Amino acid sequence: MLAYAVRRVLVSIPVLIASTFIVFLVVVNAGDPVANFATSRNPAPSKAAVAAFARHLHADQPVVQRYWNWIVGVLHGQWGPSVEPNLDIGHDLLTRFRVTVVLVVASMLVALVLAVVFGVYSAVRQYSASDYAITFAGFLFLAMPVFWFAVLLKQAGIWLNQQTGSTFLGTIGDRSPYLDVNTFGNQVSDRIGHLILPVITLALVSFASWTRYTRASMLEVLGSDYVRLARAKGIRRGKVLTHHALRTALIPLATVTALDVAQLLGGVVITETIFQWHGLGEMLVQSVSKVDVYRTMAWLLLSAAIVIVFNLIADLLYAVLDPRIRYD
Amino acid sequence: MRAPTSAVTRGLTLAAGLTLVLAACSSGGSGDNGKGGSHSLASCSAPGKADTCNSGDRKPGGTFTYTIEKNIQQWNVLDSNGNVFETGEVMSAVLPQVFVPQPDLSMKLNTDLVTSAQQTSDSPQTIVYKINPKAKWDDGTPISADDFIYYWRTMNGKDCPPPPSSDTSQTKGCLPFSTSGWDRIKSVTGSDGGKTVTMVMKKPYTDWKSLFGGGYGLYPAHVAEKVAGVPAGSADKMTGAQLTKGWQYFNKTPPTKYATAGAYKMTEWKDNDHATFVPDPKWYGKTKPTLKRLLFKVISDATQEPTALRNNEVQGIYPQPQVDLVSQIKSIPHVTYTIGSGLVWEHFDLNLHNPVIGKYKALRQAMFTAISVKDVIAKTVGQFDSKVKQLGSHNLVPGQPGYQDVVTPTGQGSGDLAKAKKYLTDAKFTGIGTALKTPDGKAVGPFNCRYTTGNAIRQSECQILQSSLHNLGIKVTIKPIGAADLGKVLTGHQYDIIVFAWVDGPTPTSNAQGIWSTGQSSNFGGYSNKQVDKLLADSVGQTDTAKAMSMLNQADKIMTDDAYVLPLYQKPTFFAVQDRFVGMRDNATIVGPPYNVQDWGLAK
Repeated sequence: MLAYAVRRVLVSIPVLIASTFIVFLVVVNAGDPVANFATSRNPAPSKAAVAAFARHLHADQPVVQRYWNWIVGVLHGQWGPSVEPNLDIGHDLLTRFRVTVVLVVASMLVALVLAVVFGVYSAVRQYSASDYAITFAGFLFLAMPVFWFAVLLKQAGIWLNQQTGSTFLGTIGDRSPYLDVNTFGNQVSDRIGHLILPVITLALVSFASWTRYTRASMLEVLGSDYVRLARAKGIRRGKVLTHHALRTALIPLATVTALDVAQLLGGVVITETIFQWHGLGEMLVQSVSKVDVYRTMAWLLLSAAIVIVFNLIADLLYAVLDPRIRYD
Repeated sequence: MRAPTSAVTRGLTLAAGLTLVLAACSSGGSGDNGKGGSHSLASCSAPGKADTCNSGDRKPGGTFTYTIEKNIQQWNVLDSNGNVFETGEVMSAVLPQVFVPQPDLSMKLNTDLVTSAQQTSDSPQTIVYKINPKAKWDDGTPISADDFIYYWRTMNGKDCPPPPSSDTSQTKGCLPFSTSGWDRIKSVTGSDGGKTVTMVMKKPYTDWKSLFGGGYGLYPAHVAEKVAGVPAGSADKMTGAQLTKGWQYFNKTPPTKYATAGAYKMTEWKDNDHATFVPDPKWYGKTKPTLKRLLFKVISDATQEPTALRNNEVQGIYPQPQVDLVSQIKSIPHVTYTIGSGLVWEHFDLNLHNPVIGKYKALRQAMFTAISVKDVIAKTVGQFDSKVKQLGSHNLVPGQPGYQDVVTPTGQGSGDLAKAKKYLTDAKFTGIGTALKTPDGKAVGPFNCRYTTGNAIRQSECQILQSSLHNLGIKVTIKPIGAADLGKVLTGHQYDIIVFAWVDGPTPTSNAQGIWSTGQSSNFGGYSNKQVDKLLADSVGQTDTAKAMSMLNQADKIMTDDAYVLPLYQKPTFFAVQDRFVGMRDNATIVGPPYNVQDWGLAK
């Protein structure tokens, strides 16, 4: 399996290079940050300042050379210059990655727990009123755009705060800038208060699809011979469900979860903007809007790496969870 | 990459719109039932009240969180990279300025810093500043002539030159946001133990009040000297390399780490999130700060500001007003707001590089006359601000000394179709009203009208222009500009007609020269008139402000006749705060509402 994993990683390197080069070309030609700098300040910057800005961004070099320098720089831990003065892209990426990881991991955990609980319940109570209700809710969440749902939640959160006379549910940022009583307990409470709304926003979309997977998978397993045999041998229903059926039924969910990480990163862009979390999603929006070539590339490289890693994890999980599968 | 980007942009735009609509719909009714609801600070727009409205007795304590829309990466507002509105807002709380731009657009002497600043001679123009003996940096170092000398030497473009072309890091020199005025100074010297500063000009400078202030405060010279490894008080002897060290230090270092001289002191900067200020115990000014804590919170998406205000996560916001946003704020209980008229003004520009537009003045005059600015206003900003009027000057706005309406008497912006057609008839154009042709038979147009994508107001403005010019027989296509492409379109002359905004700074004469004089970097449309060039150059170098303004208006009349740019209106500004606070008011100049943070506080 190790050889397989190494082979997959090696295969992904040319994919990364090709994709980054194509994106680099696109981003470089998406706008002119030097012209934006020259026209967006009042009074207009001097010619010396504009020339220095262009040199700083390597805008005076051919595109291929810029790309090559960027690749070499990244291998040495240099992520290139940003249109934002003094911005260390590597540090920015790491800081924002931490913020986004908290949001994504929390959302995945919530979505997974809910998906398993409701998916199994739905399968066990197939064609019951609760099954229909869960199915309806799942499709509803699937059809509901993230931005729409986030705005609804935000309003609901504010209403709830107003009813309780508090600001427990935060709508801006991942924490309050200050706490009147700065104890550990208050810090935890503050972080949770800021997590709830964006996590629900991000989790419910994944929950919707993952519930459907769990239900379908569970139904298939529950109808299989070995489960019927277990029941025929007199093993209790609950034990059959948890010990025999659920483990098998979770195999597809585990792989789907790994593959959906990339989709969650997409959802983060909008969620972070609406809730003003300063994570990778906000970084992408800012970078693209300012034609910040190297910052956009840093985002892309990290995202591509995450997608590749989680695709690999998904493949390896098959083997871990299903003993019949072996990679040579 | 373009496709997902536009999808994201569409999503965010929809989200933004939705936020506003939902919030507008979810007004709890407080505003209607009389138990709450915001009320307009009408007194702020009343004559003579701009600088004093929303005043009141304060009680100690309270935290006020003010929103800024950009993160701060560069802390030196004097640097061309750091010359950003939000940075200026934050730094104005801690850096002292000689003259401070006021809400009524005047420049007020900061008597906490200097007891007087007077022009004592016309030839050579000489200004004498008397520093307030109480004025000190909060590490105890007195504010002195050394600070003024350091400021001048870093800004004049010579003592600390720009980085050489071999430097890609922008760190081996100074890049001041402008050398205007600074390059006219012959000397800045100290006397009276450093408490009197004498500035002698080699060439007169009309806007001398903008020097050492006007939105750009003094940085502590002794800190720069320490960084550069030179003795304190030696700003007049520092080499270019030494000045550069100080300059770069201020570029990268937030003011939490060096001595400042404001009513508040910045104690924390969390990148991309917030700055925290507390009252500075060493503050020497007359008005003592009363807030326990002042925060500047970064909210990069303006459409999220009203919900943050409603949820009490921030207490003051300063977004660009939109119809839905204003409606939304109106529905929030205990919030007071004001709509002001700022120094930013909207305009249609013609590209004189276009051979037809550039060649025929009569065509340009006809185009501008056919457009009804009144109609433009009614269908855009007039929907939330009934006070907006057509702007009559290219250089000044109402309230600024010397403002004169030179546009409306010409009929430009009147929508007078008959007069517009007469311009064309007199100039022997044909096909008027159907398919306009030049006197030598060439087709006029089609022209494009360009606006920044996503800006609904500017899209409407282009649509109204399209309809107006259709009546003259000119076809106009509307072509949006990508969010990051405005600079490219302007500098590349990729437009026939474009709508965007200029910002009038604290130096109207220098500003005018930068925008209208031949070959200047901001003269995107290629306007050139020798008479205008001379008048503008002369206006910059006057010792008599009234005379300079008169020259500015003379130049403006010529420019208006040349019909290159049609001013539309001053863009409204919008400031909303919770009504339990006092002292805050809109300041539409370069410093923004935080120009008087020492006056902010909880209402008694």
